[in-house]
Amino acid sequence: MKNIRAIGRMIIIGIIIVIIVIAGVVGYYLTLPTGPSAKDTLVMGTTDSVETNLDPAHAYDYFGWEIIRSLGAGLVDYLPGATGPSDIIPDLATDWNVSSDGLQWTFTLRQGVKYDDGTIFNATHVKYTFDRNIRMQDPNGAFVGIGFGDIIQNITVVDTYTVRFYLTTPYPFFLTLIAGQECVMVDPKYAPMHGSSWNATDSIYYTEGDPRASNPMGLGPYTLANWTRTAGKDQAMKLVANPNYWNASAGIPKTKNIIIQFYQSSATLTLAMENGEVDIAFRQLTVTDIKTMQSNTNLQVWQGTGNFIQYLCMQERYSPFNETKIRQAVGAAINRTMLVSTVFQGQAQNLYTMIPIGMAYHKNVFQDLGDPNYTRTQELLASYGFNATNKLTFDLYYETTGHYPQSPQVAQVLKASIEASGVITVNLQSLEWAAMGSARNAGTMQAFIYGWYPDYIDPDDYIQPFMQTSGGTWLNLNYSNPEMDQLIGWARGNTTDSVRNTLYEQIQDLSAIDCPQIPIYQGTAYAVTSLKVKGVYLDITQNWRPWLLYAEQ
Amino acid sequence: MTLRTYVVARILLTIPMILILLTMVFLIIRVLPGDPVLLHLEKHATPAAVEQMRHQLGLDKPLWQQYFDYLLGIFRGDLGLSMQDYSSVGQQIFSAFPATLELAIYSMMIAASLGIFLGVQASKAYNKPQDHVIRIFGIVTYAIPVFFLGMVLQLTLGLGLHWLPVGQRFNPTIAIPQSPWYVDLNTPFSTSLISSLFKIRSVHLSTGLYTFDSLLEGNIFKFIESLRYLCLPSLTLGLVLSGVFIRLTRSNMFETLRLDFVTAARARGLRETRVTYSYALRNAFLPVLTMVGLQFAALLGGAVLTETTFSWPGLGRYIVDRINFRDYTAIQGAVIVFGLFVSMVSLAVDLLYAYLDPRIRL
Repeated sequence: MKNIRAIGRMIIIGIIIVIIVIAGVVGYYLTLPTGPSAKDTLVMGTTDSVETNLDPAHAYDYFGWEIIRSLGAGLVDYLPGATGPSDIIPDLATDWNVSSDGLQWTFTLRQGVKYDDGTIFNATHVKYTFDRNIRMQDPNGAFVGIGFGDIIQNITVVDTYTVRFYLTTPYPFFLTLIAGQECVMVDPKYAPMHGSSWNATDSIYYTEGDPRASNPMGLGPYTLANWTRTAGKDQAMKLVANPNYWNASAGIPKTKNIIIQFYQSSATLTLAMENGEVDIAFRQLTVTDIKTMQSNTNLQVWQGTGNFIQYLCMQERYSPFNETKIRQAVGAAINRTMLVSTVFQGQAQNLYTMIPIGMAYHKNVFQDLGDPNYTRTQELLASYGFNATNKLTFDLYYETTGHYPQSPQVAQVLKASIEASGVITVNLQSLEWAAMGSARNAGTMQAFIYGWYPDYIDPDDYIQPFMQTSGGTWLNLNYSNPEMDQLIGWARGNTTDSVRNTLYEQIQDLSAIDCPQIPIYQGTAYAVTSLKVKGVYLDITQNWRPWLLYAEQ
Repeated sequence: MTLRTYVVARILLTIPMILILLTMVFLIIRVLPGDPVLLHLEKHATPAAVEQMRHQLGLDKPLWQQYFDYLLGIFRGDLGLSMQDYSSVGQQIFSAFPATLELAIYSMMIAASLGIFLGVQASKAYNKPQDHVIRIFGIVTYAIPVFFLGMVLQLTLGLGLHWLPVGQRFNPTIAIPQSPWYVDLNTPFSTSLISSLFKIRSVHLSTGLYTFDSLLEGNIFKFIESLRYLCLPSLTLGLVLSGVFIRLTRSNMFETLRLDFVTAARARGLRETRVTYSYALRNAFLPVLTMVGLQFAALLGGAVLTETTFSWPGLGRYIVDRINFRDYTAIQGAVIVFGLFVSMVSLAVDLLYAYLDPRIRL
């Protein structure tokens, strides 16, 4: 009897399980989604994220700028595959000219351009954008960081489709400034003034559940259809083709939907790429992950010119780096080849000047110092009494939160390289990124490794913020040379290419003597895609251009 | 003491405990040396910027006023503004909490069920090969770094067999599960109290737990998808935690199985399964219950390594990010929330204890 009851119970349980499974299977197939076809959507994975917001007046990070450029448009843009300022092409402006004194830039605007809500774009929007971004005086924003307020004196609307910029002083690279992502146009409806005058608090931040209110653009190839942030960290974004985009008739964007997935680590992103969960992987992939994917025949690895550089800074306010020859001695002890091959396995390039390879006026001035030249290091330090038994000792700081690629490894190899001179001892000190910024401002780090992405594509952006007394205050290294200041001032104000070339050569020559910073390496840009994805351009601008990506069927 | 009395007393004790916790967190940020505003602003710490931020965050008010604003804010669910972007810290934390809660629930289910089952089996086969194998399994899973186990599972079940996705919380090409149910609070009865106090007009019955929300939505495909994405991170965390439960259950069950009442139950002819689970385990379970509670509370604070390995958008990553950004108001908010979680879980465990074991109430 007991057995019969037990058997009966088991049969009933079995029937219930079967019913649940059948219901589950039927429900599964009934609720299968019918989304856009595969060719209309590309999924991109990245470990990057929007650091603050998508307001061009405030955003000052690489990924934020890339999204801003996808959602907005500027007066000019760079040709895909650009090598420099000569590759600037029309965007919202069809033509431009500069006055003979270099102080007035006049732009003729494209007609018939509409914001995503149908509003006609005209010169008043250009004035509104620049007036807003400059007057907001956002201390964390690109407009203050780059100094637009010091460069642009005034903007006037000449007529409905003509706008004129009046500069405070001639800037030969003004067009490269205007081509920057921070100069995309805003829509006044989504970027209003809240008080009686512009204030940094007018910046547009992420609004939960409302991607349109979370960005003030509207003229770009895409609109932001979805932006999910969990606990202030990006989770997902969806870019959808803007039907009002001025170049839509040319088939731009080439893919209707771009979904961006954010990953915490390069390792997980690599696994997702290899598992087919994403179509594209871009930033920040580690060296080993890139090598892994290079050996995967189901993936294609794209390589292009990078404009990221890393350099060594030395605090000149205190001993020992208040002495020029000691800075030269340390510079002569750096083995860039060993660092690039050991840490980056060839996925970077030795850098012998602050102006990156591939940019105008680049000159390998630090090569003469040595790479390495330990004899020179020993001779220079001997004059200060440093030798094998009385070594120069200093602390070298590096960041630990992944802000730069493989910082700990770079620091370790740099230490080994410098100590191989036999007369220097390097003590490594690690700081997470925020603390490093505080220490930099306080000037408490004897030496530290820092990096730079350009704000605009011109050699000036690799010189002025580092070697000019006023421009270099953010680094707080206490470097000042009136001769250098004069050369930089001349170079900034000169519009003749040959003259600029001569001046920048002199600047770089002087930098190899003064050693305000020691350039170390230049990164190479990488992206990984599935075999079907085309349209990837990795050029000196580092503009990602998702509107050119497409999947071959 | 009756159960009801014990419950009331225990709840009342929790109130001063929480008040002390909140006061300590408040004082730590404001009284210790160092100005969080100056540290946050770095090179942009001009007097005007410092004053603006201090005003926006309410740090320019007298300390007593800040304290009462702080307590009132917590009561209303307002944990202050993030120093990074002035968004609501409460919103940020509670946007991450569902992901953490979901991971914690499923991880604990795996850990507890696997750990307790294997612990019982090991205790019954004491000092035999089965016991040794289970003990070694428990030690290995507990000792293995969680990120390493996660990567192994990603490589095998994800990349190797293509059974499961290796990261993220949900399929990016389809909309996340959303419950379609809303409760309108804008009624004559609620308007004067809830709506005015908390400024809420309607409540969206969405838990934020994708498995539950997909069922509320009636979408089986999304339910299966959310389970697929949950599999690897919860399996990773569950396996690592199961080691604790294996050892604890084994040792408690070994002692309990040798007590007289178990022998008596066997002598009365009860089936061994019933003796083991209905008699012995119930008595040996109390310490395990404490451990379940403690581990669950710890999981609610976020499993940083697991979340990083699987790009799981939980609280663990949030706290680490906020520390990196020197976002002190967010760190304060996270500490408060975590402290409240632990208090609530501790209360729940104590109440459950008292229910299961009347001797506790005495």
